[in-house]
Amino acid sequence: MSRKRLKHFEEIVERFVELKDTSELMMDLAYSSLLLNSKDLAEDVQRLEEHVDKLHTDFELLVLSSRFKPEEAKGFLGLIRLGVVTEKIADAAAEIAEVVLRGIEPHPVLKLVIEEAEETVTYVQVTENSPLANKTLREARIPEETGMWVLAIRRENKWIRPKPHTEIKSGDVLIASGYAEGEEDLKKLASP
Amino acid sequence: MPRLEKIEYKPIPVRELLAEMKNLSELMIDLAYSAALFNDKELAEDVLELENRVDTLAYLLEMEIMIAARDVDDAEALTGVSKVASAADKISDAAADITAIVMQNIGIHPIVSEGFEKVEERLTRVKVVEGSILIGRQIGELDLAARMGVDIIAIRRNKDWMIDPKDTEQIRGGDILISRGAPSGSKEFKELVEGKLRKLED
Repeated sequence: MSRKRLKHFEEIVERFVELKDTSELMMDLAYSSLLLNSKDLAEDVQRLEEHVDKLHTDFELLVLSSRFKPEEAKGFLGLIRLGVVTEKIADAAAEIAEVVLRGIEPHPVLKLVIEEAEETVTYVQVTENSPLANKTLREARIPEETGMWVLAIRRENKWIRPKPHTEIKSGDVLIASGYAEGEEDLKKLASP
Repeated sequence: MPRLEKIEYKPIPVRELLAEMKNLSELMIDLAYSAALFNDKELAEDVLELENRVDTLAYLLEMEIMIAARDVDDAEALTGVSKVASAADKISDAAADITAIVMQNIGIHPIVSEGFEKVEERLTRVKVVEGSILIGRQIGELDLAARMGVDIIAIRRNKDWMIDPKDTEQIRGGDILISRGAPSGSKEFKELVEGKLRKLED
């Protein structure tokens, strides 16, 4: 296979992973918005939904421009279908966020369900004496220490999308997802 | 055409119904991607069975919600619950759509699935080698979620898949495990299963 074609395939994988990750992040954020009754987070989900629409179109165009042989068509159809699914998941996340944006306090049962789920979403505030304060996310090694990963950071009424070099400050609220078992560890780390 | 049966009302708390729908729908997505990428028909069939289960739960939940609404305030609050349930149902439908790629022999271009396997960090599929320290251990006692933020979502033994295996299930040599979780933990888990890591760290 030519280098050019291999590069093309690599790009397809990359775009698909981005679509998949974004749609799953949206689900987590949508449930978080319910848990916190946060319109900001819910609006973020809606914005991501528009972003996914764009990603999805780019992905489809990329797949369709693969110059495949007739016998390869099925494999590419499979890719197109995978793309459609990520978009459906993104839509479902946006619908969950809509509940918050309608301005009615979410029913208490929703909070219970999200908190009790196997894969839970939790939020913790970072105190001044926390070992996390003034570290970047990469240095903080939260997934290694707790098994939870940070979805979003709230700082003074603003939401920050976490990147490895993002610095954690005292007073930040971290929204994290993972198995319920890691929740206590994260709380201890954030506010010892 | 699948034969559809009447779903009888059973009194189950809304919380339980919705929690199961949420958990199943998320599990199904992960299983469905695995089925598509590894072109695994049996796993795809199991995902479809879970889809039926979610449909049944959705019906039961709808009935519970109707019974629970006594006034306008209830109705307003419960509509939100209904919306979330319908989103979970849509997600499980999306998972079923992924499995159709396998069931209808469409498949994913092999170069893409290979590439995907390399970059996907949350989902792993790995075979237990003889000599792995996990052999003979019960899933519950391994405490994977607390140790490394990883959960075994399916085991293939002989020809059957065990979906969401019980805590008391013992891991055997030759099992194929599908796990999901934090990227760093998934890597560690893979090394344990492949016998490259010989110690469970706290």
